[in-house]
Amino acid sequence: MKRKVTFIIATLLFIVACGNSESNEMGNKEVLSKEWDEIVTSSKGTEVNLFMWGGDEGINQYIDKWAAPRLKEEHNITLNRQPMNTEEFMQKLLTEKKANKNEGTIDVIWINGSNFKNAKNADLLLGSFSKKLPHFQEYIGTQDQNANYDQGTEINGLEAPWGNVQFVFHYDSSKVDIPPSTLGELKQWIHDNPGMFTYPNVSDFTGNTFVKHLLMKGAGEESSLLSKGFDKKVIQDSEEYVWNYLNDIKSDLWRNGETYPESLTKLDTLYSQGEILMTMGFNEARGESLIENGTFPDSTKSFVLKDPGSISNTHYLSIPFNSPNPEGAMTVINFLESPEAQIAKMDPKMWGEGTVLNFDKLSEEDQQMIETLNRGESVLSTEALNEYKLPDIDTGYTEWINNEWANRIVEQ
Amino acid sequence: MRLFLKGLGKRELATSFMLILFIILFILPFVTIGLKSVSVGWRWPALLPSGLSLDAWRSIMKDPKLIESLVTTFKVAFLVVLLNLLLAIPAARALSHYMFKGKSIIEGLLLSPILIPGILLAMGLQFTMIQFGIADKVIGVVFVHLIPTLPYAIRVMRAGYERMGSSLYEQASVLGAGLFTRFFTIALPLLLPSIRSLMLLTFVISLGQYALTAIIGGGTVITLPMLYYPYFSSSNDAVIAGFSILFALLPLLFIGFVEVMMRLVIRAVNRV
Repeated sequence: MKRKVTFIIATLLFIVACGNSESNEMGNKEVLSKEWDEIVTSSKGTEVNLFMWGGDEGINQYIDKWAAPRLKEEHNITLNRQPMNTEEFMQKLLTEKKANKNEGTIDVIWINGSNFKNAKNADLLLGSFSKKLPHFQEYIGTQDQNANYDQGTEINGLEAPWGNVQFVFHYDSSKVDIPPSTLGELKQWIHDNPGMFTYPNVSDFTGNTFVKHLLMKGAGEESSLLSKGFDKKVIQDSEEYVWNYLNDIKSDLWRNGETYPESLTKLDTLYSQGEILMTMGFNEARGESLIENGTFPDSTKSFVLKDPGSISNTHYLSIPFNSPNPEGAMTVINFLESPEAQIAKMDPKMWGEGTVLNFDKLSEEDQQMIETLNRGESVLSTEALNEYKLPDIDTGYTEWINNEWANRIVEQ
Repeated sequence: MRLFLKGLGKRELATSFMLILFIILFILPFVTIGLKSVSVGWRWPALLPSGLSLDAWRSIMKDPKLIESLVTTFKVAFLVVLLNLLLAIPAARALSHYMFKGKSIIEGLLLSPILIPGILLAMGLQFTMIQFGIADKVIGVVFVHLIPTLPYAIRVMRAGYERMGSSLYEQASVLGAGLFTRFFTIALPLLLPSIRSLMLLTFVISLGQYALTAIIGGGTVITLPMLYYPYFSSSNDAVIAGFSILFALLPLLFIGFVEVMMRLVIRAVNRV
């Protein structure tokens, strides 16, 4: 009996000892000093795992049906899209960092905003790679605002822009004749149509961004400061406007403002069921696929508030510190930033979102393609969207809105 | 209507009431989901969808990971069920037949995984699993699925053993039956109902794990929930409904498979 026990313990110890063989002492940062041609050549025939949220058929199709086959053909790279929520792969990377696992499973991640800030602070990203990408250099450039700051966090080349979306409101044009065009008119509209408008709880990204528009308006001339770091002084000057506005509309909101939809999905559901007449959210073209599949009524149109404007949001692709194939990851990101891939992404049948490339830097041919692209009936014209475009503001304000909203709006 | 009701006795009335209640509670939701998965823009207050389309099913079927995820789901669940059987049967037998020091402590320990939130365990375990080199692998996911399943499996088997008692075992023992004969001719047939419910229960629990699979499987082990849950944050109800139906069909398939296998095993045993 005793011998048996000893044997079992010995076996267990052996298994434990075997487990720890994975270590990549070299580190994969050296890829950052390689020449671009060398990177492309060594990525041939490899696999790249792209980890991203997988809850939208349009986005999934763009990757699976458009990007993956072309990458295979042009670079002989197999692109695997792995559906995973952002919080989960962030958690995974954090634990892997803690456990010193230098050979992970993720090559490319899709992040922005506070997730990027956390990843940067925890040192979860490979390093400054974006300026190595030829398409980044040619069509975006290091001077671009989106290439330098991600919601107030300095990027330092740790991530490369992938898409740019604007905040728009959607409404049912068969029931609303003229949509409001300023925050003042919106307030009036809410008073005239009690119960037909609401915004998501501010713990939701969309609800939070709605309140950020009020903050922009309240800040007035100081609003340009909002995207350059968190500033208490700006808040002192503008908070009165924000909370007064929200309290004024509260009693005329859906269910008298006693409760707010907890997410954009819930808000969209209320809109699709006809309970409310407006919904909102990032991506100026997101209505198209929802109209197409029957979720939104056919008469859905969109509008932006000319005063204060429409906040834009950029999302990025990055490479984690323990990517098993950083060369392949860089080739894939460069490919996804090509004019060809970015224009295909604007097609409403796929994803329909805006490009991050600088329009003036594109060839005439590509410019023409973008101009003639039919993004759908519910999407505003590029000129209108650009005219009222606002930059996104620092993540510090996101938290401020979260904390204050609970005190000032919910508890009253 | 009144005449019809009068014609029925109290008993029949109660029965038909229960029947209607069950239909409302169990069958109607399934019908609604089925209808939802093939509908376009089904809005309140319309009683029936305004249009029918197979778009949702098409986009589910088009997912290139669907087949892979179904195979992985079955592989994981099958191994989890197997391991549960191997571990729960001896544990339950020991707990029901023997008295020993510290038995209540061991019982408590065996039950503890379901009292602690799984997500906490998974985060802690991921660290260990990385060091053992089984994170991001099917085998790691199988192990971590034992956490939410094994306590139930032991409970179920223990109840079975207690119902069976030990007298038949002793009798066979006196008559000279060996260990295997005793197990296959007495325990197995008498424990069959417990084994059946153990298999179904652990299969369903394993099937429904999202957080544990996501963390330990690291996105490289794709089970059906990994494809299905992200859709909850989109507003396309039809796709969610379609996935739900697919999800509900898997246990049915598994039960069918298990029943056939068990019949075969029992027939083989009886012949010996």
